[in-house]
Amino acid sequence: MAEPAPRQGSAKIIPIKEDVLYEAQKKIYARSVSGIFATWRWIFVWFTQILFYGLCWVEWNGRQAVLFDLVERKFYILGLVFWPQDVFYLAVLLIISALALFLFTAVAGRLFCGYACPQTVYTEIFMWVEKLFEGDRAARMKLDAAPMSARKLGLKSAKHLAWIVIGLWTGFTFVGYFTPIRTLMHEVVSWQLGPWQIFWILFYGFATWGNAGFMREQVCKYMCPYARFQGVMFDPDTLIVTYDTERGEPRGSRSKKSDHKAAGKGDCVDCSICVQVCPVGIDIREGLQYECIGCSACIDACDQVMDKMSYPRGLIRYSTEHALKEHWGAREIVRHIARPRTLLYGSVLSAIVIAAAWALAVRVPLKVDVIRDRAALAREVEGGRIENLFRLQVMNMAEEPRRFALSVTGMDALQIASERIVEVPAATTQSVSVRVRAEPDAGKRGSNRIYFEVRALNHDDVNVREKASFLLP
Amino acid sequence: MKQMIWILWPSFVVGGIAETIFFTLFDPQDLQIFGVQHEMSRVAIYSIGFFLFWLMAAGSSAFTCFIQRRADAPYRCPLPACDRPLGCPKREEGGT
Repeated sequence: MAEPAPRQGSAKIIPIKEDVLYEAQKKIYARSVSGIFATWRWIFVWFTQILFYGLCWVEWNGRQAVLFDLVERKFYILGLVFWPQDVFYLAVLLIISALALFLFTAVAGRLFCGYACPQTVYTEIFMWVEKLFEGDRAARMKLDAAPMSARKLGLKSAKHLAWIVIGLWTGFTFVGYFTPIRTLMHEVVSWQLGPWQIFWILFYGFATWGNAGFMREQVCKYMCPYARFQGVMFDPDTLIVTYDTERGEPRGSRSKKSDHKAAGKGDCVDCSICVQVCPVGIDIREGLQYECIGCSACIDACDQVMDKMSYPRGLIRYSTEHALKEHWGAREIVRHIARPRTLLYGSVLSAIVIAAAWALAVRVPLKVDVIRDRAALAREVEGGRIENLFRLQVMNMAEEPRRFALSVTGMDALQIASERIVEVPAATTQSVSVRVRAEPDAGKRGSNRIYFEVRALNHDDVNVREKASFLLP
Repeated sequence: MKQMIWILWPSFVVGGIAETIFFTLFDPQDLQIFGVQHEMSRVAIYSIGFFLFWLMAAGSSAFTCFIQRRADAPYRCPLPACDRPLGCPKREEGGT
C-alpha cells in the first residue's frame, strides 16, 4: 500500500473543480466498460439485488421468511426464530463474516469491494441510470460544462427522479426487513404510515441517493474503515489488479502496423482508457494504491485495446507481486494460495462455522428463567410444611403452541403445590407462579439448591433444567 | 465540512453499535423514565435511542476534534518554512 509521499514545500492551492464534499478533487466521469469482469459485477448486482428486494416478500409458515421484527423483538430467518437471548449467534455471525472477509482479502484482495459491497452495487446501478439519461463519459462531461438549458434541466431532473425512485424503493425495502413488509405496503398504499416508518424510509432512501449518486468513490476513500486496514491482510502472494510494468514500459502511442519493439516501446499504447474507466479515478499503472477497490474495470478496458492492437491480453491483469517478479504462470499463483496466513484464516473460519452449525442444530427451543418471589421468603402452610414462591418465565421458542410439564428435584419430598402443566402459545413467553413445598427438616436452615425441570409434552428432547434456591427457616 | 464529517460519521457508526448492544440487552417496554412508565412504542424508543447514542458519540468526537488543536494553533503559520513569502522573518529559521 504505497501512500503517495507527502510533497514537502509544494503545498500549492488546488483549484476546486466541484462543490467540496470532503476534499478538493476533480469530479470523476467513469467511462462505461464491458468485458468478463464487468459481466461478473453485473451478475453480482443482479444476485444481491434480487436477494435484497425479493427476500422480504417470501413467505414461510404463514409469515415473512426473513424478518427482524423489532417491535416483537424476534428475528425470523426461514425456519429459525431468534430471541434477544440468542445474541450469541449474532456475535458468531459477525465473527464468521469478518474472518471470511480476511480470508478473501488475503487470497484475492478486495473482492468484496469490487463486486458485492452495497456501495459498489448501488453506484453501478446509479451510473447505469446516469448513462441512460446523460450518455457516456464524453457526453456527460460536455453536458456538465454546457450552460443550463431546457434540455440539460430535463435530463438532470429525469435522472434525479429515477434515482429518487430507486432510493425510496430501497428505503422501503430496508424498513420492510424490520417491520412486516406486506403490512407496510398496505400502510403506504392507504397513506397510513407511522411517523417513524416515514422517517426511516426517507432516511435510508436519502442515504442511498447521496451515497450512490454523489459520494460514490469518496465513501471508499474516506469513510470506509475496511479500505483503510485492508492493507494488513495483503502479502506478496495476494491476487491484485496490477499493471505489468516490465511488459508495458516504456509506454507511448504508435501506429498499429509499426514494430513497437524495434522502436524500443513497451506494449502500453498510453490510450489512458484504463484511467477513464476507473471509478475511483486512479492510474493503475502507478502501482497498487489504497484507493483501488479491485473492480477490474481497467482489466476489461485494457484487454479490449490489446485485442484491437493484436497484442496478447493481460497487460493489466489479476496477478501477485511475487508472480510479476518471478514471471510465474497461473499454476504457480494457485500453488501459492495455500500459505500460513490463508491456512490459518481458513482453519479458524471452518472451526467456527462447524461449531456454530452444531450449536444451532442442538439448540433447544425452550428457555426458562426462575425468579424467587422477593416479597415472601418462606412460609409455613398446613401440616407444618414450608412453602416457597417462584416465578417461572417459560419461553416457547418454537413456532407452535406447546404444553410443558413442570417438576422440581433436589430435596426430599419436594413437590409443586400449584399447576404443573403450562400451556405456552407459539413463540411467546409465559410467566407462571409456582408454589413449592418441602418438609421443614428436608434440608439445612437457609438456602438449599433445588432444580426446576421443564419438559415439553410429546417432545422429550425439549427440556431445560434450571437451578434455584429453596429457603428453610 | 471536513470537521462535520469527522464528527458525524464515526459517531454514526458507534451510535449504531451502541444501539444494537443496548437494545439487545434491554427491552424498551421495561425502561422507565424518571421512574415513570412511558407510553411510547418500541419503534419510537429505538429511534430516539439511536439519535441519543449518535449525539453522545458525536459529542465525544467533537471534543476530540476540539482538543486536537494545540492551544497556540490559531497563531501558527500553516505554511512550511520554505514556502513562506520572501521577507518573512520566520522563513529562514524554520520556526513556527
